[in-house]
Amino acid sequence: MPMGLCLPFPLLWDMKEAVRACLAGRLGCGCLLFLSQCVSTLTYDTLRFAELEDFPETSEPVWILGKNYNALTEKEEILSDVTSRLWFTYRKNFPAIGGTGPTSDTGWGCMLRCGQMIFAQALVCRHLGRDWRWEKEKRQKDDYFSVLNAFIDKKDSYYSIHQIAQMGVGEGKLIGQWYGPNTVAQVLRKLAAFDSWSSLAVHVAMDNTVVIDEIKRLCKPSVACTGAAAFPSTDMELLHNGFPPEARMMDKLSLWKPLILLIPLRLGLSEINEAYIETLKQCFMLPQSLGVIGGKPNSAHYFIGYVGEELIYLDPHTTQPAVEPSNSCFIPDESFHCQHPPCRMRISDLDPSIAVGFFCNTEGDFEEWCQHMRKLSLIREALPMFELMDHQTSHFCNPDVLNLTPDSSDADRLERFFDSEDEEFEILSL
Amino acid sequence: MHQERSQKNQSTKPFKQRKNLQTRKEEVAGIRAKFPTKIPVIVERYQREKSLPLLDKTKFLVPRDLSMTQFVTIIRSRLALNATQAFYLLVNNKSLASMSLTLAELYKDDQDEDGFLYMTYASQEMFGSNLRSKEEKPVEYVLKVQNPLWHCCS
Repeated sequence: MPMGLCLPFPLLWDMKEAVRACLAGRLGCGCLLFLSQCVSTLTYDTLRFAELEDFPETSEPVWILGKNYNALTEKEEILSDVTSRLWFTYRKNFPAIGGTGPTSDTGWGCMLRCGQMIFAQALVCRHLGRDWRWEKEKRQKDDYFSVLNAFIDKKDSYYSIHQIAQMGVGEGKLIGQWYGPNTVAQVLRKLAAFDSWSSLAVHVAMDNTVVIDEIKRLCKPSVACTGAAAFPSTDMELLHNGFPPEARMMDKLSLWKPLILLIPLRLGLSEINEAYIETLKQCFMLPQSLGVIGGKPNSAHYFIGYVGEELIYLDPHTTQPAVEPSNSCFIPDESFHCQHPPCRMRISDLDPSIAVGFFCNTEGDFEEWCQHMRKLSLIREALPMFELMDHQTSHFCNPDVLNLTPDSSDADRLERFFDSEDEEFEILSL
Repeated sequence: MHQERSQKNQSTKPFKQRKNLQTRKEEVAGIRAKFPTKIPVIVERYQREKSLPLLDKTKFLVPRDLSMTQFVTIIRSRLALNATQAFYLLVNNKSLASMSLTLAELYKDDQDEDGFLYMTYASQEMFGSNLRSKEEKPVEYVLKVQNPLWHCCS
């Protein structure tokens, strides 16, 4: 990092804060100029000057969460779409986590904030719709405040930093420890169970595999309870026998719990394998897209789209004072919307550890998503990031394949072969 | 015993750097002659992995028809991971293995010139920054809860 070379660490931090203060309008412009001269050896990116950069004038298509824009003719629409997303940043002076814990998440909460952002986007789609737009100083719907209230920094909000940090203890994370994309996905999945208002099905697909059967069982609990998961169509016909087709259709829709699908991945070891870049772009083009949580080494970002070879993201790395809501129907909400042009970074700089998100409000949405993914796997330039399977083919499900008795453990299947060399092979047998 | 071997592995270089190409080729030829129906696989931990434990073995002979799902299940259970822990096997340090493939299919396309199939396992990176604001000191807070010795020493 070039910044470490020229300035002592604490001074550097002060500079950074000062520049942020300038950006936030708390200090005069002359001060910013002075600072920029002082720190001319620092990189643009470190000081987040990128924020001041306007959106690029380019004929390349801009994709934001499944919507396609033209950067030359639809700049306003792009900014309005970005500003409408809920933006969660570091906050300070919130009620202490667990009563005696931290009152700020600066330095450790960035991935938790990104988890909040991707989940808030799902809640916006669920309760307000993808096309809903936020406008400054305009009175918003009650549902909007209910969504925002679910993320406010207090202990009893469904998905507050308090809830995430404390639920993380069950995932082996102490309060204040850093999270990865999978950690926050697992925690949010657990927290969603208490959100009866949204009544969501949250699935975190492990081992880079999405099993369609598992998702259908999760989203159609009524079918699963009757033990008819294997024959859903027959079951549906029995259930709706005698009802007019419209009513049958309505019921079919209501049987589906809106799905948040999160797929944690690792697209390389120290850097992203370029063969995945095309597939990653495709994810932002699907109407079900919730974006991607990930980041650059050490800094988590919420990626909402791309233009050309750059990702567009919301950055949680700005510490704002916590907002105390007077009541849940009105929350001072300006600081929850990013009102400057969004940050961008080269796709090839993405850290390989990410989680991709999708929202399927109806079963139809999910089926459409499956079709998209199957088509995508046929594009030759795009290496699939994950695999779609109809059923789980684990050997625990199919003991015949391995000719195992259900109670046999891995150890029983193991023989060891010692060769003459220093290291021995381990032989796995069927 | 396990721990001893783990520590030995930890200090050693990756398999490919421990033996030259010719030795590795001979090793594959020898083992393939003895076990013609098995595939020689090298499974190693990513050098910078911080959370997953080490396997006590790096060399495996795997049945041709074993699927990657099954193989991953075996490795996961060896590492005593629970179902929600992130675990990825990257073939040739590059791409995620497709879970529906059999080891024979994977071997056909991705075997190394020495005849081994190389896989590296890793979890996910964690995100956070060391830059913290001065008025609050979460650093100390983290140390306090992370390290139980801290209480004993104080």
